[in-house]
Amino acid sequence: MLRGMRRLLPVAVFVIPFGIAFGVAAVERGLSATQAVVMSAFVFSGTAQFAALDFWREPIAFLSLGLVVLALNGRHIIMSAALSPWLNRVGIGRRLLVLGFLSDANFADSRSGLKDSDGDLGPMLGGGIVLWMTWVTGTAIGVLGGSVLGHPETFGFDVVMVCFFAAVVARHLQQASNVVPVIVAAMVAALTLEWLPLGWNIILAALAGALTAVFRSAR
Amino acid sequence: MPGDLAALLAIALVALVTYGSRIAGALIMSRIETSPRISQFLDALAVSVVAALVASIAARGGLKEIAAIVLASAVMIGTRSATWAMLTGMLCAAAWTALTT
Repeated sequence: MLRGMRRLLPVAVFVIPFGIAFGVAAVERGLSATQAVVMSAFVFSGTAQFAALDFWREPIAFLSLGLVVLALNGRHIIMSAALSPWLNRVGIGRRLLVLGFLSDANFADSRSGLKDSDGDLGPMLGGGIVLWMTWVTGTAIGVLGGSVLGHPETFGFDVVMVCFFAAVVARHLQQASNVVPVIVAAMVAALTLEWLPLGWNIILAALAGALTAVFRSAR
Repeated sequence: MPGDLAALLAIALVALVTYGSRIAGALIMSRIETSPRISQFLDALAVSVVAALVASIAARGGLKEIAAIVLASAVMIGTRSATWAMLTGMLCAAAWTALTT
């Protein structure tokens, strides 16, 4: 578990500015400091939380909000299913605990680790916890006045998450069977971005990529 | 401005839906038999999700993001270090921002 914490510490540290950004935006939208921090603590999803800010008015459109969050986080279902071979080997309590900290970053990091270590979920949990801690801390800093820290773009913080993801994909590209599915997924995601709501294009692209891989190997 | 109760309900809703999405995949899969075909599908699904995320962010961004992504990917393949990949990508983006504003 500590190994996972150490491995994801670089990404986690850079999550702090994003947490700050959310904290600042939340206060601007009318959330109290407590509400913003509680939200980060219990939701732990930047995309869902920023989307929720869009719905922060009187009265709140609960149904739309729920559907939007589901679409945005639909990829969690896919990620959770992808990890299920290892997750379903452990007891339900531990499973639910580890899954609570599932996020893009520790998922992206965990797949190869799980294969090599034959299912040790410790690194994933550790990585998830440290990401959660920095996310909540960042939010707390943000609500307490992050405007002094300046813009994320100045130091390249705005691309840190996507560079981490790109590195993960790059690592997998070294296995030839992944190349075409990755290209298919990337193209579908980019092309459908315009006419599919955010979140749905990711799900569609991921399914397209996965189906491509299966069909290609069936030939 | 939403009242405290509405705010609390909204936060709870978002939290529950998010957590639900996190556990749903694994719970569904626990009721299905695995096969080589299914695990191959899930493997490809996993890398495709990340690829789709990268593509979406790149498409929404611009040349700056694409440059950072290409650089980070190249550094990753070359050095096998995600940290170096992120740092070079960030430096690239920071320089781009500095040079274009």
